[in-house]
Amino acid sequence: MERAVPPTVPLGQMEVFQALQRLHMTIFSQCFSPCGKFLAAGNNYGQIAIFRYPGLCSPTPIGSAHDGPVYSMVSTDRHLFSAGDGEVKAWLWAEILKKGCKELWCRQPPYRTSLEVPEINALLLVPKENSLILAGGDCQLHTMDLETGTFTRALRGHTDYIHCLALRDRNPEVLSGGEDGTVRLWDLRMAKEVQTIEVYKHEECSRPHNGRWIGCLATDSDWMVCGGGPALTLWHLRSSTPTTIFPMWAPQKHVTFYQDLILSAGQGPCVNQWQLSGELKAQVPGSSPGLLSLSLNQQPAAPECKVLTAAGNSCRVDVFTNLGYRAFSLSF
Amino acid sequence: MSSESSKKRKPKVIRSDGAPAEGKRNRSDPEQEGKYYSEEAEVDLRDPGRDYELYKYTCQELQRLMAEIQDLKSRGGKDAAVEIEDRRILSCVHFMTLKKLNRLAHIRLKKGRDQTHEAKQKVDAYHLQLQNLLYEVMHLQKEITKCLEFKSKHEEIDLVSVEEFYQEAPPDISKAEITMGDPHQQTLARLDWELEQRKRLAEQYRESLSNKEKILKEIEVKKEYLSSLQPRLNSIMQASLPVQEYLFMPFDQAHKQYETARHLPPPLYVLFVQATAYGQACDKTLSVAIEGSVDEAKALFKPHEESQDDESDSDAEEEQTTKRRRPTLGVQLDDKRKEMLKRHPLSVMLDLKCKDDSVLHLTFYYLMNLNIMTVKARVTTATELITPISAGDLLSPDSVLSCLYPGDHGKKTPNPANQYQFDKVGILTLRDYVLDLGHPYLWVQKLGGLHFPKEQPQPTVIADHSLSSSHMETTMKLLKTRVQSRLALHKQFASLEHGIVPVTSDCHYLFPAKVVSRLVKWVTIAHEDYVELHFTKDIVEAGLAGDTNLYYMALVERGTAKLQAAVVLNPGYSSIPPIFQLCLNWKGEKTNSNDDNIRAMESEVNVCYKELCGPRPGHQLLTNQLQRLCVLLDVYLETEIHDDSVEGPKEFPQEKMCLRLFRGPSRMKPFKYNHPQGFFSHR
Repeated sequence: MERAVPPTVPLGQMEVFQALQRLHMTIFSQCFSPCGKFLAAGNNYGQIAIFRYPGLCSPTPIGSAHDGPVYSMVSTDRHLFSAGDGEVKAWLWAEILKKGCKELWCRQPPYRTSLEVPEINALLLVPKENSLILAGGDCQLHTMDLETGTFTRALRGHTDYIHCLALRDRNPEVLSGGEDGTVRLWDLRMAKEVQTIEVYKHEECSRPHNGRWIGCLATDSDWMVCGGGPALTLWHLRSSTPTTIFPMWAPQKHVTFYQDLILSAGQGPCVNQWQLSGELKAQVPGSSPGLLSLSLNQQPAAPECKVLTAAGNSCRVDVFTNLGYRAFSLSF
Repeated sequence: MSSESSKKRKPKVIRSDGAPAEGKRNRSDPEQEGKYYSEEAEVDLRDPGRDYELYKYTCQELQRLMAEIQDLKSRGGKDAAVEIEDRRILSCVHFMTLKKLNRLAHIRLKKGRDQTHEAKQKVDAYHLQLQNLLYEVMHLQKEITKCLEFKSKHEEIDLVSVEEFYQEAPPDISKAEITMGDPHQQTLARLDWELEQRKRLAEQYRESLSNKEKILKEIEVKKEYLSSLQPRLNSIMQASLPVQEYLFMPFDQAHKQYETARHLPPPLYVLFVQATAYGQACDKTLSVAIEGSVDEAKALFKPHEESQDDESDSDAEEEQTTKRRRPTLGVQLDDKRKEMLKRHPLSVMLDLKCKDDSVLHLTFYYLMNLNIMTVKARVTTATELITPISAGDLLSPDSVLSCLYPGDHGKKTPNPANQYQFDKVGILTLRDYVLDLGHPYLWVQKLGGLHFPKEQPQPTVIADHSLSSSHMETTMKLLKTRVQSRLALHKQFASLEHGIVPVTSDCHYLFPAKVVSRLVKWVTIAHEDYVELHFTKDIVEAGLAGDTNLYYMALVERGTAKLQAAVVLNPGYSSIPPIFQLCLNWKGEKTNSNDDNIRAMESEVNVCYKELCGPRPGHQLLTNQLQRLCVLLDVYLETEIHDDSVEGPKEFPQEKMCLRLFRGPSRMKPFKYNHPQGFFSHR
């Protein structure tokens, strides 16, 4: 079967380079603005692009926001925090669309190693304390107070770098999943590790050929769902037992609770929707060959912009207005 | 007439004229004329008026008698019969009178007719005479007018006017006394004078003719003398050539070139002038020459009518001679096509010499009917090149100059007007003829000063270098880099085909000392094959895999792992990097769609190519990319986590020094090599 070859536009050196960059772009993180009308996305070249939703115009890029890839982003009412290679930067949402926007501040948590600057893989906002938790390559969780900007705690325990964080609301606990295959619970007030779940040791969910790393975490107070090297599993936290195993062979990189469903995405172009019973409700294909992040626009300020966006191993952000199909894609 | 009246007549009366045999009494005695009773004579004597009266009286009497008879018969009496008889006799007499009168009337009529007839005849005769005479008169009149109109030849001669005549003519001809009075004599005299003059002028004419002959002969002699000089001058010039060469002033050669250059068509002339100027001013390695037949070029400028007549004549002849087998429509179309694609007989040849003594020969042609220029290229090297199989297309004349400027593939004619001309003769595209005619690249048109509007509207105004001198410089530089990069690739391919990645010494710092993965295969693949590969979809969709690029397949192996790399080589190498797409076969098939690390490896080679360029002019890019690929494969295989459930040692023990094995949410392997510390880290 012959594939339709698109006509080639005369390409000079610059165009070829840009095309290659776009082909090899990975979008690691996304974040919606507090007003719900803008989406910020960070990629592996350290660029952050602000997309206006629902407009389809080209994004406003903040060129060299970071030196390295932008691995995670979170947003408060007024600020956008982005983190990548070892430092976290803050931006004002009000100013972010203006030309030549510069970050408000830039902080680096105190690292132990000096040979290589560890990356920051996950950011978590703790609204009760008004603090920001960073976790990443140095296997520690750092807490930064947002008012003073100082780093208050450093929680150690993981033996390999941390992939993801989740916040348990009721008792202020933080869950972290890491490359070492464990999910650890930390109590913030006591600054101590409370519980450790070694996922790979449970036979039902472990998949040794994929590895033991925990790539994604989501929690709903009593329940936790995690996945990565081992299969995507729903755990009951108090008893630390796996209750449901989701039959997905591809490692999942992002998981989140949504209404009564669990949405997950990972290797493979689809966003998977699971019932809590473990059944696959729907698999909605996107445009990237692999997805790294999902983002739900649940801002109360813009109920009409309630969408799900997915991004990963391409320069495109897929927008799902109705969870059943991909509406359109925004492109870097 | 006379026979009629004789028939009516009673036998009693004998007539003297007519046929005497008819009458009962045959007395034809012409001597007894006076004795005959001639009624004709009587007619003359009697008065017609009186006869008429008599007739009327007789009729009346008859009527009366008839009435009386009638009466008597109706009354009927004895006497009646006698009376009736009397009356009857009387009426008979009357009847006879009537008859006589009738005869007389007839005779009178006849006489009258005869007389009329005679008179008519006379009149006719006179009439005829009159006609004859009139005819003669007319004839004579015509003759007279003819004679009067007669113009003698002498009146057609343009004689000099009378005054002039009297002034010029000698007295023995003019004879003024006689001629003044007599116009006839005057004319004669004038004619005489005319004759005299003409004789004199004829004499003069003959003299001048003979003069002219003499002078012509003199001219011939002098011309021969001049032409005999020419070879002598030539031999002098020849003798001076060695002197010129000795003194490095090739005036002669340059002069000859300028002479032939005069016959070049305008675009080639512009190119010639610019190239010579550039060669003299900036670049001594450039040499310009003109090739082709000057006579043919001169022949192109013959007047058009001649050529058209010749055409029609030859057409007519052709038709007659080949009546049996007419040229088919296809052959006629073929001829028309050939005519349309005709080249000017002269061409300009440029030779660009590069540093390593390889020469790029460019021959520029001008297609007259299409008004475009084309170029044919050829590369010759100082030493004989053994072409490796995969390098077949690198230096081929067809593709060595492809895409010198982005998008300038030279397969389509740059002149939009040509499309209409092509439609007339059924040529679809110039692509079919480029091998023969040369490539019509856009930069060739610019060098010749031909400017065509671009087909697609430009979104922004591009500030083109309109000065052809700076355009010439850019183009020459590009041509040289092109040739050199192709030659460098040529050499590299020879080495790659043997499985050795030739890394020059000044690029060693980019790679670790020990590289275990080896390049096993390096072959060319066709464009269609590249497009069909399952792991090249992204490149094809991004529009980076056109048909002007060259495609190769490399195979890197280590142990059981086989890495296939499909390479797109842009003609603009090395300013435009080659693009690699990978597919790893080891514990399953991994491509960039299912393994993030393969994607990262591609990114290392494709996106981070600038550090692999090596020293200027960057010809080492491809080989460095291949070497890096081998290094990346090493890192990939060695850093793969060991699956505890599977028995046996790791196939590839980790020998590379890495700080961390995985990093980031996508768990990247450490692909970046740090020199001189020699360890691997993440970007």
